Parts: sequence; structure tokens; C-alpha cells
Amino acid sequence: MSDLITYKNLSISLSGKLVLDIDELSMPAHQCTLLTGKNGSGKTTLFKIMSGLLKPDSATIYYQGLEMSWKQAKPYIQKDIIYLHQQPYLFDASVADNIAYGLYRAGESKASAHTKVTQALDWANLSHLAHRSAKQLSGGEKQRVALTRARILSPRLLLLDEPTASMDTDAKQQTSLLLQRLKTEGISIMISSHETHTVEHIADRHLHIDSGKIKLLDNIQPPKVTILNTSKNTHKQ
Amino acid sequence: MNNIGQASASAFQLLISGDSDIWEIISLSFGVSFTAILIATPLALVIAFLLAFFQFPLRRALIALFNTFMSVPAVIIGLSLYLLLSRSGPLGDLRLLFTDKAMIIGQIMLSFPLLVAMAHASFQAADRRAWETAITLGASPARAFFTLMYEVRFGLIAAVVAGFGRVIAEIGCSMMVGGNILHATRNIPTAIALETSKGEFAQGIALGMVLLVLSLSLNAGVSIFQGKGELQA
Repeated sequence: MSDLITYKNLSISLSGKLVLDIDELSMPAHQCTLLTGKNGSGKTTLFKIMSGLLKPDSATIYYQGLEMSWKQAKPYIQKDIIYLHQQPYLFDASVADNIAYGLYRAGESKASAHTKVTQALDWANLSHLAHRSAKQLSGGEKQRVALTRARILSPRLLLLDEPTASMDTDAKQQTSLLLQRLKTEGISIMISSHETHTVEHIADRHLHIDSGKIKLLDNIQPPKVTILNTSKNTHKQ
Repeated sequence: MNNIGQASASAFQLLISGDSDIWEIISLSFGVSFTAILIATPLALVIAFLLAFFQFPLRRALIALFNTFMSVPAVIIGLSLYLLLSRSGPLGDLRLLFTDKAMIIGQIMLSFPLLVAMAHASFQAADRRAWETAITLGASPARAFFTLMYEVRFGLIAAVVAGFGRVIAEIGCSMMVGGNILHATRNIPTAIALETSKGEFAQGIALGMVLLVLSLSLNAGVSIFQGKGELQA
């Protein structure tokens, strides 16, 4: 299994404190990775760096095998990797307009965007919400809209920060189903979650982050995992 | 009391009869203030956004500076600008003193700190996820900035309205750098001061009515916008 992207010697300090110090983190293509760790262990910071929202103090990127600096890699990262917040932010517009947002930024025509949005709404069973104000949706509906809005841009890697947190059982099931379908479509996914039972059935491997260092806990479906990373304390299984 | 009543009635008559002098003053006043706000707003919004979303040296000092300048009296701005634009001043060759352009410059200087401070408060209160979501969905920083502005539009509109309210009613700066010249630089506040000093209360009251209606309209507009914002939050 080839790696989509590898981050080496990734480190960042915030307010004078070393938050992340990772020797190597690779993301295999078409796999789902579960990331666990205590609150404040650096999961969100890692996702923001991986998606290009936060600049690390140091990092070397291998994007599809090519070594590049952070600056060189940033355009590829921002094109192919999408990060979803724990509570996704939906713009003050209709659900359909939210889903179309990225398409317009990518230069899609209005007609083409409309067709794609209609298909995406069907895909996520959200057609009945198309014209509803996104601000009025429930937490579960917001998460599904955010996943649909990300999927429509055909990302290669989705980074999901606690996607099922604070959801009722039904919303968790629906979100979990969408995640399964995203994985089936070949999108690599990395999910941080405390509720491992809701997502572990789609995960191929399990990473754990502690004090800014990552270790591989489990190859859930060996031998799909190619990576190991990281710190001096890393251990392989 | 009777005099006030008569003056008010005359003032109302002046307004509805379309008195050319009155409406010329109103038109100049609005023209100058609209132009000043139009010029000041874009840069003020960008600076407010940068101050709210990015860390850089002297950021806190700049915020403190804008907050301080927000309450500088208009007459001090007028005096400073007068010294700059007067014949012997460093910008005397531009021959801007006692022109509407000088009034516009003065009103830009007056409104700019208020616009920055109020817009900064709006951006500061904005949800940072809005910016990050726009970026992660492929928006350029410029496009993400416009998206963010839309998300906090109610606060920004309130800032612009407050800025306009400050400059349309100020007298100190306009009097000093405009000179209150009839058909050239006489605006509502300077005209009210002059007519009142001459004992011509009707014209002063008429112009005061315009400012009062404007003030009520602006406040009502801001309340409606802010109400919408709260409903949609």
C-alpha cells in the first residue's frame, strides 16, 4: 500500500511548550486511521498541521513520494486534505450553498455546481434539507452536511476531529454509515475519537498520541499498515 | 416657548418647501461624510481583521492606539490637520485647506480608529472555525476574508453606521479645516452653529431635525441588523 503523504521530523511549540514532536507519520492511501489520545495531547494541533492550517516549527513532507518543504507542499495539502472540526462550522447560508462553497472556490460554474450539489445531497440523504438554513440544523445533521461538503471536493484525505462526539445513537449511526461509504469510495480518513467503538469497525489501524508523540497501537487489519512513526518511544506491534 | 414653536414650524416649512440653501448644505454634508466612510472602511476592515486573527510585533500596542484615538476630540484632529494643510505647513502646497477635500481627510482621520476598533471587536468575537473552514475548503486568504466578513456582517455594519454617525455630526474638524464657507464647505453642524449664533433658529432647527431623523434611522437600522444577527446565531 503506497503512502499518500508522510510527515517527517514534525514539531511545533505553542506558547513555549512543545506540543508535537513526531519523527514520522505516514498516511497510507485508501485507509482509515483511528487516532486516540487524551484531551490536550495534540490531536487537533496535528490535524491542523496535516491540513495546512497551522505551520509547524519544522517538518519535511513526502507527498506521493516526492520530498518537499512545508511551503512547497502546502498547495497540495490544501487541495487534497480537508479538516473537519469537532463541531463543524457551517456558513450562514442554506445547506445547498454550504455544500457548493468549495465548488465555487474551485471555479465550477453555477450549473455544474448545482448538479453536483443535487447529487451530493441525494448521496447523503439530505435532499429534504437543501434549502434549510444551515444554522438551524441539529449537531448530527451539521456533521453530515460537513462531510458531504468535504466529499464533493474529492479530497484524498479527510481529517475528522471527534466526528461523533455529543451525538445521539441515531446520529452516530448515520454519521458512521457515511464514513463507511467515504472509505469505500477510496478516500483516506483519519479520525480522532474517544468513542472508539463507533468508528473502529471502519479503521484499518490505530494510532495513539501521548505528550505530542505518536505510536502505533494496532494494525487492525494487518498487513495494511506501512507506517510507523515517530518518536524515540515508539513501539511496533 | 412660543418662539421655539414658531421657529420649529418655520424649520419644517423650510425643509418641505425644498429651500435650496438648506438642501445644498444637507447634500454637501452627506457627500463629504459618505466619501470619508467609503474611503476609510476597506482599509479599516483589513487592519481590524489582521489585528484579530494574526499575531505580530506591536499588535497590542496598535490595538491600544486605535482605542485611544477613538476618543480623541474632533477639534484636536481638526487642529492637527489645519497645521499640516495651512500655507506654512508641510502639506500647504496642496492647497487643500478650506476645501471639501480637507473635510473628507479630517473625517477619515476621525472615523478610522472607530471603524478599526469596532470591526476588530467583531472579528475578535467571530468563530475562528469560519476562517479555517473556508481555507480548508479551498478558499484563498482573500476569499476567506470576504467569507468571514459575511459571517460577522451585522457587527461590521454596526461599525460602519457608528463611524458615519460620528462624522456626520462632528463640528470641530469641519469648522477648522473646512472654514464653513457657504456653497463650498458649509455642512449641517457648522451651519447649525452659525445660524444659531446669528439668531436664525429656523434654519438651525431644520438642520437639527435632519440630524435627529438620521440618528434615529441609523440606530433603528443597527438594531434591526443586530436583531437579525442574534436570531441567526
